[in-house]
Amino acid sequence: MNEFRFGPIRFVLDYSQPLYEQVLEQFRNSIAKGEIALGEKMPSVRELAQALKINPNTVLRAYQELERDALTETRRGQGTFITRDADRVAEIRRKLAEQAVNDFLDKMRSLGLTRDEIMRLLEERGG
Amino acid sequence: MSRMASDAIVFENVTKGYGKGRGLHDLSLAIPEGSVTAILGPNGAGKSTLMRAITGMTVPDKGTLSVFGRPPGWELNRLIAYLPDRARWYGGHTVAEALEWGERLLAGFNRERALRLTVDYRLDPEMEVKGMSKGQEARLMLALCLARDVPLYVLDEPFSGIDMISREQIVVSLIDAFSERRQTVLISTHEIAETESLFDYAVFIGDGRAVLCGDVEELRAQRGSLRDIYRQLFG
Repeated sequence: MNEFRFGPIRFVLDYSQPLYEQVLEQFRNSIAKGEIALGEKMPSVRELAQALKINPNTVLRAYQELERDALTETRRGQGTFITRDADRVAEIRRKLAEQAVNDFLDKMRSLGLTRDEIMRLLEERGG
Repeated sequence: MSRMASDAIVFENVTKGYGKGRGLHDLSLAIPEGSVTAILGPNGAGKSTLMRAITGMTVPDKGTLSVFGRPPGWELNRLIAYLPDRARWYGGHTVAEALEWGERLLAGFNRERALRLTVDYRLDPEMEVKGMSKGQEARLMLALCLARDVPLYVLDEPFSGIDMISREQIVVSLIDAFSERRQTVLISTHEIAETESLFDYAVFIGDGRAVLCGDVEELRAQRGSLRDIYRQLFG
């Protein structure tokens, strides 16, 4: 495990998992959570590669994915910026939440719990 | 293994015998152009022989190899910055003289970058190579290599015998170099834990053969960190 800080984000990199996915997920989660403000400038590929001590290609790959998700946009000669589109961020946040629910349900079903039992557990737990 | 448009280096069934099980044995591999490739394996596995073969300093007994689609040799070496595993070339030189020497003799030598690297590596221009620590000498050798504008860097154990701080500095300067330019880089090292984040391709060599090759991110997804894989293969 390697830990680095960049601005408000604390990156934790685990070398036993693909690094690009970790960089991507940590940015995506931080944007969804609002830790990084809309329209904010992203670190350059070089800056982040230096800060994380990772191959610039790895950072580039994560950045390309964020751009494909329309969470960032690159302005020629100015760098890469977080989108200003709040709806887009809300959409991604919802997607991440759905994914978390799916993972949770898969786990519950693998334990053999029925829908009713799962709902009861959630209600018992409250807020 | 035929050469793809994107492969910088291709070895096909290369054998080079040194007796006592050392050398290369029917080694085949392809290294992608633009990759930063780790060459990993125990001592005596054939890492240095592989690197010398790329520079034409070692000629295979059997098999073929090509670099950018051409056979190794002095013409091709203009395109390669090679850091040998043991070298003491500049005994009587100061740092400044070593740079002048590089400028005269090394193809693609970029003086400005060489100067910047010596500053980054805290090498005083007046310092004599004779009195240098192992770490200082390794940093000078590396500066002379990285100062060159060439499409291929072959670095044999650039981190060995270097203290942790110098090592980190070198890792950072390598990342800097990779951000600026897009060249193919081969690095052999035993310092896997501190350097594995640099690599996007890896070749594991054991007993003169390529035991495992692959994209580092895919290897991580399948089998874990390079350090874990090294332990699985050679532990």
